[in-house]
Amino acid sequence: MTKTKIKFENVEFTYIPPNGKPVRALERLSLDVSENEFVSIVGPSGCGKSTLLYLLGGFLPLEQGEITVDGRKVSKPGPDRGIVFQHFALFPWKTVRQNVLYGLERKTMDSAQRNELAQKYIDLVKLTGFEDAWPAQLSGGMKQRVAIARTLVTDPDVLLMDEPFGALDAQTRGILQEELLAIWGLTRKTVLFVTHDVHEAVLLSDRVIVMSARPGRIKTTVNIDLPRPRNSEVTRSQNFAGYCDEIWSLVREEALVASGVKA
Amino acid sequence: MVAQRKIMNILMGAILPLVVIALWEFATRERLVSPFLLPPFSRVMVRLWDDIVSGELFSLAGQTFLRLAISYSIAVVIGVTLGIMMARVRFVRWLLDPVISIGLPTPKIAFLPIFILWFGVFDTPKIVMAIVACIFPLIAGTWSGTQGVDKYMVWSAQNLGATRRELLLHVVFPAALPQILTAMQVALPIAFIVVIVTEMLSGGNGLGGAMIEGARLADTARVFENLIVIGLMGFVFLRGLQIVRRRILGWHPEVLQEKN
Amino acid sequence: MTKVAIRYAPIGLIVILWELSSRTGLVSQDVLPAFSDVMVRLWQLSADGEMLVHVSASLFRITCGLALGIVVGSTLGFLLAASITAQRLVQPTLTFLYPLPKSALIPVIIIWLGFGNSAQIMVIFLGSLLPIVLGAYNGAKGVENTLIWSARSLGANAIETEWHVIIRAALPDLLAGIRVALALSFVLLISSEMVGAQRGMGFLVAFLGDGGDYAGMFAGAFVISAIGFAADRAYLALYHHLLRYREA
Repeated sequence: MTKTKIKFENVEFTYIPPNGKPVRALERLSLDVSENEFVSIVGPSGCGKSTLLYLLGGFLPLEQGEITVDGRKVSKPGPDRGIVFQHFALFPWKTVRQNVLYGLERKTMDSAQRNELAQKYIDLVKLTGFEDAWPAQLSGGMKQRVAIARTLVTDPDVLLMDEPFGALDAQTRGILQEELLAIWGLTRKTVLFVTHDVHEAVLLSDRVIVMSARPGRIKTTVNIDLPRPRNSEVTRSQNFAGYCDEIWSLVREEALVASGVKA
Repeated sequence: MVAQRKIMNILMGAILPLVVIALWEFATRERLVSPFLLPPFSRVMVRLWDDIVSGELFSLAGQTFLRLAISYSIAVVIGVTLGIMMARVRFVRWLLDPVISIGLPTPKIAFLPIFILWFGVFDTPKIVMAIVACIFPLIAGTWSGTQGVDKYMVWSAQNLGATRRELLLHVVFPAALPQILTAMQVALPIAFIVVIVTEMLSGGNGLGGAMIEGARLADTARVFENLIVIGLMGFVFLRGLQIVRRRILGWHPEVLQEKN
Repeated sequence: MTKVAIRYAPIGLIVILWELSSRTGLVSQDVLPAFSDVMVRLWQLSADGEMLVHVSASLFRITCGLALGIVVGSTLGFLLAASITAQRLVQPTLTFLYPLPKSALIPVIIIWLGFGNSAQIMVIFLGSLLPIVLGAYNGAKGVENTLIWSARSLGANAIETEWHVIIRAALPDLLAGIRVALALSFVLLISSEMVGAQRGMGFLVAFLGDGGDYAGMFAGAFVISAIGFAADRAYLALYHHLLRYREA
């Protein structure tokens, strides 16, 4: 019996733009994520998938419903729910090493331990040798590796990823997807992964959640029954293509609804 | 190769000033231009040297420098603080927004006679005037820079456990620094212009005062001599700020590109 | 409408505080004439034509100086951008001249041109030159090669390319430089009028102050501020209109 790590219960969210009418982003959304599960959320643009992540991260105020991690209610941001953003959000005035060290500054350990730990994760994301580089000197893929190392080094309970490879070119994306699979295989964290790339979702996840057009609800859940450990080889299997087709047509239905076209 | 190009650049750059100086000296020596209007360059240099040796220049330049340094420092401290407060405290923003909006494009030098009325004719009105004149771009630039900090960076910092105070110090301020430094670079020439003008108008010597006295007494050499000193001063200050900027912002793409 | 009122409300507060502290004698009336007195004096000066004389003198000077600055400055800037040799010759000199406070030129120009209009106009012209040259130069240099190549391949010769493509593309930077020059011109105008002129707003304010007419002095300062503010706002409107093809 796997433990429930993250629980969304009847979560609703209304977004109020500075000029204009309030927009219902999420409607009565309930979702359970089990420990060590890798769950992806896909859906049409504007369906609220990122909003879901931001609420879990504590960046947006939750007014309706409840979100818990390990049974504790979520309210403010914190290192127990590490997040990686699409545009890296690195601190440009800190070197790679300093960025990775940032989360460790608040932990009680001496500086030798901190440096050792930071180095371990810099090596894990294959950036050995770039410890003293500035973010402005790195490529997009490298920056995202730093972001991942920076988040993982604090050993979060869960990992939130907001379209992390969306800003990268196709080749880099493929490489990082494989590396994420490998890293996840080592750490086995509970991951909530938002993406609009169905192929990516199927490749990485145990389960794919398809969201409806706005206001967002859960349309369907698809269990991905592909063997682990995985690598890009799995994309060649029949099952893989089948999952992609299934999920893509579901997303497409909702995308048409979102753009106002009659199906 | 690079060294060769640098030397070439310096040589080419020196051509124009050298030509101008040569023409200057020639025109005045040959009486093409009345020496009253334009004293020979050599005479100006001699005058300059005399004043350096006698210490007169040092005292004049020192006065101007002090007024500039005091007013600029105060303006930076107050201006940057207010700018950050504007971005974070709603009340402050409401209070100062119209003031900045109206004050920024307004020629504040118009209020100099008022400041002289209030503060007399010595250092105070000059310093106050310079502060008032250059603080607006400081506040506006700092506000803009602080407000524009990428929210995902802030969220990342919070995600990694930063407290409110740490957020301000570790994230918001460094992120706003490029724009704050730009505002400082804009404010310095303004403060300098104003200090010179106030010295011209309200006594109290300094380089501006010496220039206007030279004009009144038809001592043209004095005017030119001080003009050159003022030019050098301005150049040194601005160059100094540029160097500071390059060091503080060593991580910024603009600086990294320059290095290439 | 109420949004505008709320935004500018602090100004109203300041005015009220001013009037109160002056009227109640909290601050001596010699030092801070009541706001209402200032307004009365403003009305008087406008009504008897005094204000108009000085305002027109000032506006005439700044218009001439700035116009000259724009014409000469942009030409120089574009020429500079077109010739690498010119850049290498001129750049160090410009870098040195840039931080020179142009107000320091006032005494020299007074010696050369006296106290009349030409002196004031010359100061403004010289002061406005550099920001405009810089704006034109940066704008022209920054024009993407692809734009220029497209024009050439569509058959434009050098002059047509210069006009249609380069100058148009350089417009944003040039206009930004002119805006800086505008603000600088006002400062130089008022400064030089205060130092050596017999008419003009700068002269008026200093004159009224020397004569003890403090309410009048305040009124003059306000008129100057209002004109400077209005000029900038008007320029902004022009700026946005000229660049309206750019997305908001």
